[in-house]
Amino acid sequence: MLLLLLRLVNMADQNKTGTEGKLFSEILSPSELFAARSRSHKIPVRGQKDFFPNDSDEQRQRLEQSLNEHWSLTSEERVERLGNLVKAVWIPSDQIVELQSPAGKFWQTMGFSANGKQYLLPEEALYLMECGNVQVFYRDLPLSIQDGYERFLSSATVTLQQYQVFGHLKRLGYVVHRFDPSSEPSSYARQLNLPQSRDRAGRQLKRKRSPSPTATCSYTEAQVESTIEKMEEDKCSLEGDDAKKLAASPDIQTATTSGADEGRSWWMTDDLGASDKELHHSPTSGSSRWDFSSIPFPDVGSSERHPSCLAPPEPSLLPGDLTVGVCDIASWRRKINLRMVKMSSKEQKREKDTRRRRWDVNKDREVRRCRNWAEYHELLARRQRKRKGRPAHLWNREVTPLHDPKQPISTGELLDKISVIKSTHLLEGASRLKGSEQWRICFNVYQPDTVADFKKSNPGKPYSRMCVCSFDGPVPDLRAIKLLAFQSGDIPVVFAVVDHGDISFYTFKDFQLPTDVFP
Amino acid sequence: MEDSPSMDDHQDSSLVVGVGLCDSAPLLWRLQDLKTARRLGLVGALLGSLPRTPRQNQRLGRPLLLLPEEEQLLRDEEAAGALPGPNQDVGGAELRRQFEEDQQRSFEEQSVLALEDRKSALRRAMTSSHTGSESGAEAVDEALCGRLEALDHSFSFPQSAMAVQLSTARAGLSYCPEARAHLQASWPIREQNNPRSDARYQVFRDLRGRGFYLTSAGKFGGDFLVYPGDPLRFHAHFIAVCLTLDESICLLDVLAVARLGSNVKKTVLLCSPVPDGGVCYTSLQWSGMV
Repeated sequence: MLLLLLRLVNMADQNKTGTEGKLFSEILSPSELFAARSRSHKIPVRGQKDFFPNDSDEQRQRLEQSLNEHWSLTSEERVERLGNLVKAVWIPSDQIVELQSPAGKFWQTMGFSANGKQYLLPEEALYLMECGNVQVFYRDLPLSIQDGYERFLSSATVTLQQYQVFGHLKRLGYVVHRFDPSSEPSSYARQLNLPQSRDRAGRQLKRKRSPSPTATCSYTEAQVESTIEKMEEDKCSLEGDDAKKLAASPDIQTATTSGADEGRSWWMTDDLGASDKELHHSPTSGSSRWDFSSIPFPDVGSSERHPSCLAPPEPSLLPGDLTVGVCDIASWRRKINLRMVKMSSKEQKREKDTRRRRWDVNKDREVRRCRNWAEYHELLARRQRKRKGRPAHLWNREVTPLHDPKQPISTGELLDKISVIKSTHLLEGASRLKGSEQWRICFNVYQPDTVADFKKSNPGKPYSRMCVCSFDGPVPDLRAIKLLAFQSGDIPVVFAVVDHGDISFYTFKDFQLPTDVFP
Repeated sequence: MEDSPSMDDHQDSSLVVGVGLCDSAPLLWRLQDLKTARRLGLVGALLGSLPRTPRQNQRLGRPLLLLPEEEQLLRDEEAAGALPGPNQDVGGAELRRQFEEDQQRSFEEQSVLALEDRKSALRRAMTSSHTGSESGAEAVDEALCGRLEALDHSFSFPQSAMAVQLSTARAGLSYCPEARAHLQASWPIREQNNPRSDARYQVFRDLRGRGFYLTSAGKFGGDFLVYPGDPLRFHAHFIAVCLTLDESICLLDVLAVARLGSNVKKTVLLCSPVPDGGVCYTSLQWSGMV
């Protein structure tokens, strides 16, 4: 009987407003409003989609059913009990909504108090209008949702895209507040909470010196020094030695030194069967290994009688105008195959005395080269530095070694010193960046499960901060990311990318490349 | 709230879609406009909370946001007009008086309905509890009359119990289709003249003309998702990427979009408008290593 009554009233309404008005009028009649109490609050589940359209009746029917369901859901108007609605007014001059009846449950996470009154931000008010919790009036007339969208959303308050993100997050249950950069702690204040930075001074560890690699050559301390000197002087001849070794081997094929790109091919040698005494000017074809059986290295270490001189290398092997003469290896041969003589303490003492007596400073060639005392002091200082491991040719120039070998350093730190590309962290240089119009943080987002204890006066740290952008705009560049990370502090920044109703969330996570060096 | 079928067919060809601008985005608010747009094959995207269940994101409600291509298509077909903005409708004392009258009338009618509702509930309760002999039935009737009379006197319908509508679309926008000319004149010019958006529009027009339904495909790395039928019932077949003919595309981008397409089981279409007005389509198929 009630159904019939409704029908009659409905038809009466129709006749009143006219057919055209009815087409666009979405105002519910009082009977419709009353009947809305028994509306279902369930959304029908969407069925399986088809893949390919054929002209079957079945598909047509299902499409019609889906469409009808869609229209019936979309056409439903919001109907609320007047007692459940909070009354509010829109104040355009302040772009704010003032509550005129006491706030409901939403007050725990939304709105603010000022001058003894309760207010809502425009985006909060619009969201609550859409939820059917608040009725906002302007000039004594209720605002529709359309009015809310068109009046409340603008670049001065919150844009449509930002509101989409706001609404999306609120519907999921998050607490979303506007971000205020001035209320964030300064970088210094934040610094006090940062974890300890790495100690760059390096740890001074006492390390055991690794044993000398060559067991056959044993030098005493004093001889090391003189050997080093000699080695410096004989550097050229040693290079010549290397080249000579190769030249002496007749079986090596060498390329001409004319072509610069072929200059490095002299070490390429094919596996040879027959010995070949001539030098070949053939380009390398494929790589080969050294054929050590065919490369005669002069055996300067054997005790057999050998020429005390090494022949000069083939001039064609030497770069440029370098000429090298015969190398006298007699002094070298004297220094090898030495054995550490174990002397008793008395013998050592005697040895030291005779050495001291025999040692004549004037016999020293370098001392003889000094023309005055100043130069002699310089010589002594130089030798002192060499002894300490800081030779002048390394340390007295514009370019000095990266690290003093006498200083202990861990492998990881040494690698850091060597590294050409220095690792950096995101916030480096960020404090110098000026703000940008395009990229700014819009919202603070707090997690849903904190709603019960949430206090607006002390919200605590947000879960993340939102920056709203769209697929039409540019991807945030490093500058933008640095800027936003700096503004945000230690809260991750999430980019909410809006694409016509779809929102995708992206965030950049900090990442450290693993270094597999452990000190 | 349903339109009778005969009305639909009659109004079909002459309906003009009213578009509201919000923060310079084209939005459709009225259900009839949404239906008209859908009939023209324009899907759009719903942005608002669904009135029935506002706190979920699976199904959203009005307004419907149009793609710039959809808006331009409507404009080119002369099937759309701009709705007046919010400030133009601010009523004077007349509207306020009307509103208060309507509210009062609604309250009175609802009170009547509420009383009726209570009475029938009472009747149901009393008759169902006495399913007995005829002698019992008379007693029941008497008691019932008594109770109903008491209800008439004591029943009160408080103001707070009144049901109120929170309108989605702005009230009073019941335009007649003949007002189309008026609407056209007030259309704001918001064209983007760059080759990219021209290409997108050409492709949109062509695909729509072939009967496909198109939606935005930003999160698929393309310009449009192409459906063979209404998206409510069919899955998308293609991801359309729009390029101008003289635009050079990096091979890595082609590979990336091809990979993406194969991951979501859709074919990637590279679309370029050709000078003669048509559109040239190239599909990418991942065939694997030979």
